[in-house]
Amino acid sequence: MRSRRNAGPPRWANFILNVFCKERVLETLQGDLFELYSLRRKRGSRLSADFGFIFDVISALRPFALKNFFWSNNSNTMSMYKNYLKVSWRNLLRYRTYSIIKIGGLSIGVAACILISLFVIDELGHDKHYPDVDQLYRLVNVWDQPGEVEKWESCQPMIASMMKSEFPEIEKAGRLIPYSGWSFAGNNQVRRSDRVQNTYEEGFAYMDQELLEMLGVEMIYGDRSTALAEPNSMVISRAKAEKYFPGQNPVGKTFILDELEDRPWTIGGVMENPEQNQHLQFDFLLTLTSEEFWKGEQTNMCCSNYVTYFKIDKRAEIEALEKKLANRYVSSYVPYLKRRGDVEADEVGKYWAFFLQPVRDIYLHSGKISDDFQHSDIKKVWMFGSIAVFILLLACINFINLSTAKSANRAKEVGLRKVVGSFKSDLIKQFLTESTFIAFFAVIFGVLLAWVFVPLFNTLSGKVLVMPFGSWWLFPSSILLILLIGLMSGIYPSFYLSAFRPIEVLKGNLSRGAKTSQLRGAMVVFQFTCSVILIVGSLVVYRQMSYILTKDLGFKKEQVVLIEGANTLEDRLQLFQDKLLGISSVIDVSASNYLPISGTKRDQNTFFKEGRSELDKGVGAQIWRVDDGYINTMGMELLQGRDFEEGTLRDSSSLIINETMARELGLEDPIGARIENWEPWTVIGVVKDFHFESMKGEIGGLGFALGRFGSIVPVKIQAKDTKATLQTITSIWDELMPNQPIRYSFMDQVFEDMYGDVQRTGNVFFVFAVFAIIVACLGLYGLSSFMVEQRTKEISIRKVLGASSKLIFRLLTSDFLKLIAISLLFAIPMSYMLMEKWLEDFEYRIPLGALVFVSAGLIIIVIALFTISFESIKASVLNPAKGLRSE
Amino acid sequence: MKIGAFEELVLLAVGALGEEAYGVAVKELLKEKTGKSPSIGALHSALYRLEDKGCLESFEGGATNERGGRRKKYYNITSEGKEAIREANKLRMEFSKHIEGLNLGLDEV
Repeated sequence: MRSRRNAGPPRWANFILNVFCKERVLETLQGDLFELYSLRRKRGSRLSADFGFIFDVISALRPFALKNFFWSNNSNTMSMYKNYLKVSWRNLLRYRTYSIIKIGGLSIGVAACILISLFVIDELGHDKHYPDVDQLYRLVNVWDQPGEVEKWESCQPMIASMMKSEFPEIEKAGRLIPYSGWSFAGNNQVRRSDRVQNTYEEGFAYMDQELLEMLGVEMIYGDRSTALAEPNSMVISRAKAEKYFPGQNPVGKTFILDELEDRPWTIGGVMENPEQNQHLQFDFLLTLTSEEFWKGEQTNMCCSNYVTYFKIDKRAEIEALEKKLANRYVSSYVPYLKRRGDVEADEVGKYWAFFLQPVRDIYLHSGKISDDFQHSDIKKVWMFGSIAVFILLLACINFINLSTAKSANRAKEVGLRKVVGSFKSDLIKQFLTESTFIAFFAVIFGVLLAWVFVPLFNTLSGKVLVMPFGSWWLFPSSILLILLIGLMSGIYPSFYLSAFRPIEVLKGNLSRGAKTSQLRGAMVVFQFTCSVILIVGSLVVYRQMSYILTKDLGFKKEQVVLIEGANTLEDRLQLFQDKLLGISSVIDVSASNYLPISGTKRDQNTFFKEGRSELDKGVGAQIWRVDDGYINTMGMELLQGRDFEEGTLRDSSSLIINETMARELGLEDPIGARIENWEPWTVIGVVKDFHFESMKGEIGGLGFALGRFGSIVPVKIQAKDTKATLQTITSIWDELMPNQPIRYSFMDQVFEDMYGDVQRTGNVFFVFAVFAIIVACLGLYGLSSFMVEQRTKEISIRKVLGASSKLIFRLLTSDFLKLIAISLLFAIPMSYMLMEKWLEDFEYRIPLGALVFVSAGLIIIVIALFTISFESIKASVLNPAKGLRSE
Repeated sequence: MKIGAFEELVLLAVGALGEEAYGVAVKELLKEKTGKSPSIGALHSALYRLEDKGCLESFEGGATNERGGRRKKYYNITSEGKEAIREANKLRMEFSKHIEGLNLGLDEV
């Protein structure tokens, strides 16, 4: 047994007694305890004496003996802190303007910090709520050729089951088809099988029964382990269940999709509405059980349309598994390609790889994987996070600047306190107490301000954030924030102020805050550098946005009405189109599933010149099924050749290609050229390149082929009297489809929505630019009014000696304008680099010209000048007699 | 003057110990007489309470080795303390008189 060096009672117990007992009680109580201990030692074993002592200590910890840690009447430290708080409060009231600037600036900083923190917490919280989320992965294909790395998420239909059966590490595997336009995925007309009225619904996806289990989807009705097990079964969200079957259990009821009555869908279960922060946002899940989209589809390696998810054993080594999966995949895909005579087969063997992407990373870390899910970017999170920190820093700088500038007011107090015996450390404590005291108010106001601004911030950022007033961590983190801000803003002033020498101060020799003016200048420069960067940022984002919206897209999106859900017209589509053409204000009508806006159908193909499919590398291009009115309705420009001629059979294998496709195929004289994918085509025309994907990517190859029965009917109408035209269109529709309300949108609006995230980034930039400017201007105002206060006498004397108001004004503002100019020198190159980086993401972008920087500079100079002029003008028109009379 | 039962006991012990009444001695006496040892915390708590009520007065002195050189706090019963004991006794007698067949043996004194 371990023995203690002294034979006394347990030291730790004695220590507790020392810490917690009042001094008044301690000595005699401790004496009694010691005496009892020695008595016990005489009578019994040491162990029992030790226990006895511990017990005694515990029994002694009662009210009569306990120290009061919080408010002791006779404790010197406590009364000093009381005094510090009292002095802080008096100072707060005495210099109201400065207090408002300090607290106001800090509250804005705190509010910005809180809003961005909520934003960041929300962003980071995506896809974290599944059971065993650490084991869930998405299979991502990687083409790992040096210099040409590509990643994409869709796999062949058999990959999931094949890998699961061959690799024991894979516990579960499930597939998903989220792609809008793929059979019933995307949107459909929906009705209960016992009703006739159709409703348009979005959010359809195909899903395997096993994936439903892997994701641990919460079920309200039905069993998660069987809900999608039967063919033609579906799971709907709670919101949709309440919409179609209010107040009842819909399991077993049936839906008809798109009027296809021979294939009713049976509801196998109702799931909880999808969480707002998950990448899968679907209201209707259709089963993949025994689904076959065409004959032999499930066993054919031709086509990749399935997103594949795995649940992987915790102990599995992911990297090794990725390699094994790739090897296995290549061993069956390469022979398949060879059988087809694909010239790229060997390259596939060389460059194919897999990446197992953790599901919780899908939202923020998907980078260049262009799936159909909503994404954000970890870079954006970092960017916003640092903006929050900077704004808080700017506010702290205000505090530091004003405290040091106004130091003269506190100098006497410091001197006197030192004379009566205060140590430097006490004064540091005092000023830190004061800054914490101010931080306390700032955090309270900041929380309130953030609360007020949450709805506005939500509108601008497209989020659904709420103030976490009910959360347990709000209170402790606020305390932490108070201490942090108190320390950050108080540490420098407290050392600076506490260093005054009492003799100098009390003699009145203190140079009034001039010593630190350089440092203050540097801080002002820092503040305005940050502001300018934010202004440039928001200007660039907004200009890029307007560039996107006004750029010549190769098609004309204005005055195009998109009538959706027209597939249910079936063979009456032509009739509908003819009737629309009969309206005088309708210019042209088309029908297609393929449109140059996101969310419409896409069909990627590989093309070759005729007869060269086993000799050349293929050219990737989309093939869009359109009708003869399409090019005209969309306002696209046919550069060569002719448009389709409907009604004759001669255009059934004709193709109109875009410039890019002609170039990539190397067709020097495209008209009449013969090309093939899995069937031969003749090129009859070349259409000017138009943007059909996001501006972030290059325009790819694309060909139009003739096809009927699109579900979207674009109608080009005349600009005048849109309302009447729409009414006529609606009445025509209602006549044909009495059970399905018309649904239309405007193409330019849909197009604008595609770039919603750009718009929102701009908005967030703008909000925080405004915050930063307000904070910086508050500081500037404080400093300028302090300067004016200091120089009142100087100004008065100058005026007496004949200086004009203009001269005085220039004198007072030039110093600050110099600082602003310096900050522009810093800010311009920095913001140039940052925004150049942001614009890199766009294939089609604005150049970063001088205009943005000049306008940002002008904005900041005007705002700063405006801020300074308040006090400067007041001072320059001051009657010198007033300024001099004070002595 | 209201004192509790335990306080009364402590007060009596202090009175009985005369000049030698301090924490440990009171505790030992109570243990000897009642067979139960009060916890030192409870005892000190009661002593401080009685002092606050004016039933006891105290002075410090008599540091010994066993006490690690720490002084003792000696207690003396005050006239108010005596009065409190009297009151408590009277109350007890009041009640006891009414209990039939309870022979306290006080008549013989």
